[in-house]
Amino acid sequence: MTIRLGRRQFLMGSSALLAAGAAGFSPAFAQAAGLRQFFWGGQARADRTYAVNDLFAAAKGTSVDSSFLGWGDYWPKLATETAGGNAPDIVQMDYRYIVEYAKRNAIAPLDDYVGGALKLDGFDQDQLEGGKVDGALYGISLGANSVAQLVNLAAFEEAGIEPPNRDTTYDDIRAMGEAFNAANIRGGLKVIADGSGSEPMLDNWLRQKGLALYTADGKLGFGADEAIEWFTLWKGFRDDGICVSAEDQALDTNGPLETTMVVLGKSAMMPSNSNQLVAFQTLMTDPLTITNYPRIAPGVGGGHYRKPSMFFSVGGSSGNKELAAEYLSFFVNDLEAAKVLGVERGIPCVSSVREAIAPDLNDQDQIALNFVANLGDLLGPLPPPPPAAAGEIDASLLRVLSQEVAFGARSPEDAGQYFVTEAAAILERAA
Amino acid sequence: MATQVDISSNGTGRVASPSFWSGVWQNHAPGYLFLLPWLIGFLGLTIGPILTSLYLSFTDFDLLTAPDWVGTDNYVRMFTNDPKFAASMRVTFVFVIFSVPLKLAFALGVALLLNRGMKGLPLYRALFYLPSLLGASVAIAILWRQIFAGNGLVNQFLANFGIQGPSWISNPNYSLWTLIILAIWQFGSPMIIFLAGLRQIPQDMYEAASLDGAGKWRQFWKITLPMLTPVVFFNAIIQTIEAFKSFTPSFIISAGTGGPINSTLFYTLNLYNEAFGFFRMGYASALAWVLLAIVALFTAFSFLTSKYWVHYDD
Repeated sequence: MTIRLGRRQFLMGSSALLAAGAAGFSPAFAQAAGLRQFFWGGQARADRTYAVNDLFAAAKGTSVDSSFLGWGDYWPKLATETAGGNAPDIVQMDYRYIVEYAKRNAIAPLDDYVGGALKLDGFDQDQLEGGKVDGALYGISLGANSVAQLVNLAAFEEAGIEPPNRDTTYDDIRAMGEAFNAANIRGGLKVIADGSGSEPMLDNWLRQKGLALYTADGKLGFGADEAIEWFTLWKGFRDDGICVSAEDQALDTNGPLETTMVVLGKSAMMPSNSNQLVAFQTLMTDPLTITNYPRIAPGVGGGHYRKPSMFFSVGGSSGNKELAAEYLSFFVNDLEAAKVLGVERGIPCVSSVREAIAPDLNDQDQIALNFVANLGDLLGPLPPPPPAAAGEIDASLLRVLSQEVAFGARSPEDAGQYFVTEAAAILERAA
Repeated sequence: MATQVDISSNGTGRVASPSFWSGVWQNHAPGYLFLLPWLIGFLGLTIGPILTSLYLSFTDFDLLTAPDWVGTDNYVRMFTNDPKFAASMRVTFVFVIFSVPLKLAFALGVALLLNRGMKGLPLYRALFYLPSLLGASVAIAILWRQIFAGNGLVNQFLANFGIQGPSWISNPNYSLWTLIILAIWQFGSPMIIFLAGLRQIPQDMYEAASLDGAGKWRQFWKITLPMLTPVVFFNAIIQTIEAFKSFTPSFIISAGTGGPINSTLFYTLNLYNEAFGFFRMGYASALAWVLLAIVALFTAFSFLTSKYWVHYDD
């Protein structure tokens, strides 16, 4: 019953095992002939992107190996692949991260390809600027969008209240909230979500005061007084039942769209983005629309800006940079591709493309396009890219403090003071 | 080092170590060669990364740029200037201190019930074990969200008695307790071990006790529990380590935020956020080593005190 194994046989066996193990490593180092692409988004975005990849493959004879993840999982994976020297050729980039990636050469400058592989005729100048870091072009904007308030029109109609328009101020929101409370529809629906922990809403409010979230040199752009005023404003809304309760707002984990206040039926409005109207409408039967964030006083504008919703960049270690640049060019210029993409990534940046797709857009897409095109006096300049620690300040400071005020663990004065001190410390540490 | 000790001890100058190693080699070579695939994996995929993380814990590694040596900065900051670290320690210790004893008590209670030799015991055993298999899964964490939400199952039940319950998961006063209840619900594996332990207690002890007029309660305290202490000890250690490492429930239920107000910010979740949310791999490595030290201390403490309360038969 015993198995006898000679030394030689054994060595052969084990070295075969070793060889097999070593062979297992090699595919990771192999360079595929085609392009590798990685982006964040949902299934709707993936379907559109894959369709464009098929068009590109048909036109250029190069396949694109593409994969996607949700926003939260995307960044760790991209950073890990980049650290491992295995970054994709085409990566989707956000305004928040582009400086970090560019400064570490994790993405490649594209200026050499402009006019050659990368055609940018008729590309919106402000969107082009948004993709530059220290004067060099690192990202091609895939669409313009703007922050916007999502509005549930059915709720306003049911309550018999006029929906907000471009002149609506924070004081008007208070009046609407009181009217909503008097109407008492859908088990006490509130007019607005609690925006005190929303970084874009705070940003918009500060910009209307001529301030900014962050300065160009990466410092906090406002002081304790403004922070206190902000938390006090929302405490007033919360105490008077204008916005949703602390417990309800805490259900929104800032992740899936399904846990947001409008979708959960807790409020009739909430802060969102213009390109997200499409996604939200698929989750709700009530007709939705978008409008601007409230003004701080009648006639005061400048809070909004046309933000590059996202970029495509070329991986810094890519062996196929020229081909990748060609893909980017195809993605933003090709009319067939543009028709597939619609405005799901924001409003296309090339004017001829915009004109070509406009007639075929559905209602939601039309609303988003018109909103971004007609911001008028609401529009201000594009702020500088936020510093590297902005994500941490948003996640572990602003959102936590807004909850602490909401649940009564801190006063607005205390929270405002703490925010400014702690944010400065985080920025200092990251610098 | 082994060589030197050998020289000084026998004084002959004969180096024993090489022959020791060659003896090992000659006698056990096939064994080690058979171990090789595992050994390579163990050294390369377990020990290697562990040692690397020890090195990284003294650097400011951020995934994208090469690590710079920062000395003990990470450890100093952790204990002097990191409110999230303090919050996560508080949350984790409350979780461990409440979930482990309650879970063990619950598991023992169910094991005692099942030990009475009822019909269909294998079926019940399997059913009670089921939550342990499912418990760490994403699906259960999502289910938990539904059960403890504002209009969830718990509040619908309470509404029958005219009680308007809060939204348990989104209220910082209660959110951690929903996670503790989730942990207790996964009592299956300690229960199975308790059940096996109960089977080992000789029946004649109980017979002798009842002849002497000891009631059920007295029998439990004087026979069952003392005889079971080795199993209690084992379960306590395993469950404490599990509780310190707990990650999935809070990650899913709070969607990775540890909210509301850091009330469910488990140690491991804070570590994950530092590493993959803010890309502070160096700091996260330091956090991991501190967690290792905490768990090791707890385990050592348990072993040291065990001689005062664990009763071994032999």
